[in-house]
Amino acid sequence: MTACNILQSSRRHLVPLLFNLLLVIIVVFVAAGVFVGADCCLDWIVAKEYFCVPVQVEMSDFHNRSQTSARRSDYVWQYEYYDDEEPVSFEGLKAHRYSIVIGFWVGLAVFVIFMFFVLTLLTKTGAPHQDNPDSAEKRHRPGSCLVDIDGHQDENDKAFSRPLLAGSRSYFNFYINEEDKGHGKQKVEEKRAGKHTGARAEQGTFNRNRGVSSSGMDEMEEDIEEAGVHQQLTGLIEQSKTDRECTFLSHFNIPNFVNLDHSSTLGEDDLLYEPSVILERQSKCHDAHFDIH
Amino acid sequence: MNSSILNQSHCPEVVVPNPVFFTIGAVSFAENFLVVVAVIRNRNLHLPMYCFICSLAAFHAIASLTKTLENLMIVFADVGHLNKKGSSETTLDDAIDSLLCMSFLGSFFSILAIAVDRYITIFHALRYHNIMTMQRTGAILGIIWTVCGGLGVLMILFFDFKLIMICFVILFFISLVIICSLYVYMFMLARIHARKIAALPVGGRNNHHQQRWGSNMRGAQTVTILFGTLVVCWSPFFFHLVIIMVCPMNPYCECYRSLFQLHVALLTSHALFDPAIYAFRIAELRHTLRKMLLCSDWKLCS
Repeated sequence: MTACNILQSSRRHLVPLLFNLLLVIIVVFVAAGVFVGADCCLDWIVAKEYFCVPVQVEMSDFHNRSQTSARRSDYVWQYEYYDDEEPVSFEGLKAHRYSIVIGFWVGLAVFVIFMFFVLTLLTKTGAPHQDNPDSAEKRHRPGSCLVDIDGHQDENDKAFSRPLLAGSRSYFNFYINEEDKGHGKQKVEEKRAGKHTGARAEQGTFNRNRGVSSSGMDEMEEDIEEAGVHQQLTGLIEQSKTDRECTFLSHFNIPNFVNLDHSSTLGEDDLLYEPSVILERQSKCHDAHFDIH
Repeated sequence: MNSSILNQSHCPEVVVPNPVFFTIGAVSFAENFLVVVAVIRNRNLHLPMYCFICSLAAFHAIASLTKTLENLMIVFADVGHLNKKGSSETTLDDAIDSLLCMSFLGSFFSILAIAVDRYITIFHALRYHNIMTMQRTGAILGIIWTVCGGLGVLMILFFDFKLIMICFVILFFISLVIICSLYVYMFMLARIHARKIAALPVGGRNNHHQQRWGSNMRGAQTVTILFGTLVVCWSPFFFHLVIIMVCPMNPYCECYRSLFQLHVALLTSHALFDPAIYAFRIAELRHTLRKMLLCSDWKLCS
């Protein structure tokens, strides 16, 4: 069963799963309520006594204030975890006294590292052929720092530049073809963007349009909704240029998720190389969007 | 007689010095307040995704502010200016505790909302703008704020009931599971489609594999950091609550409970890390902050 099938089947089951989860929560709450309601009869709920420690020390203060209050409440409930009268005895400890603390933190670290390794194993299954020196470099780099601001990252490490180029080429070509009808601005901007490498330009365009995103997001969008989006793009031909542009841009307004650090570095690079052209267009689009809505 | 034995082997309470709390509170309040102002001021950021991030930052700002206030009160009470047992002081303390509770719950729900929003963006990409309109976002945020406010007040009023803590812990655990599964789903889907795209017949296949591996590695890193920070900052405190309920008299549990202030410090430091994980990743927001902070007088930025 491929991962794709698992995902699809699990997506179908996700909503009922969530409802079941909700039911479980409600049942647990009700059970806990019944349980606590009957706890007066249960011996092992010592915590209530631990909470509501009758603090006799209060009596002297109350005497000073008023007799009536002292008569009204002989005991004062206090939420003190660390009472002076320490009821816990530390005799006869077999293990180290901080064993629970150590065990908890070790378990937490193991869980986080295990999760990271599971995720990286998932990525490794998709990359069988790699050059050894390059892969070794890549292996070391992610561990060292989050934000890679190497200069030569541009050529080799633009993880989503090539797939972006490949995957979104169909979109871009389609868009350009529609623009051939006479709207030159897109071409001009493309030429302007094309000053730098083609990959960078396209990634710049697409990257600026969505706040931050990843190749995964773009490719996924294309793959999942390819037919639907293609039809939608066809239907946009009749609209005005701004409208079409805005809708096109809004499709790529995806949240920053995967490749966050990647896109953040590229965001800075884009700020250097592509001034606020795309930003202005996006802001115009958003204004138009808001006007429309 | 007993006290001498206790002094030898009991676990002393670990005290986090007040300057640490004040520093964490001040820095996280400044960060989160800036994020809130940036999102409100920039019209490009009036979108559902950014509204949830703004709400998260607002909750964190309130949390750090109230924690700082509480520490100030404790300092004054220790010095002697405040009466620890006075009615007005206990009322104020209760109000601060309920605000803290509300902001912690709110930040947690906001993180859950951000995860669900990202999930909808990815799995229902085309219908996203119909599903997550600004009106619905406003309604969701209103519900979150109301529920958290109510729960905060309730939790402090009825704190001595175990039910409250059981609910709290179960809610935390289930939300954690939901967030983890949502992000793992999103990661898996991103990976699958990255593979599909890379399988397209384009030149430079070897580069594809390396770059895909690199991008997915970063995806794994991002998910781990996101989820790992959440778990590391929140679970010690919740384990503390579980320990209180389960083994109040056990000496091992007592030693865990002695680290309470450390766990609360971790919880408040979550407000310090969250802007770096969520808000400062957004280029638009960084741009706005740069403009706000640096461009008051300079002509350097447009």
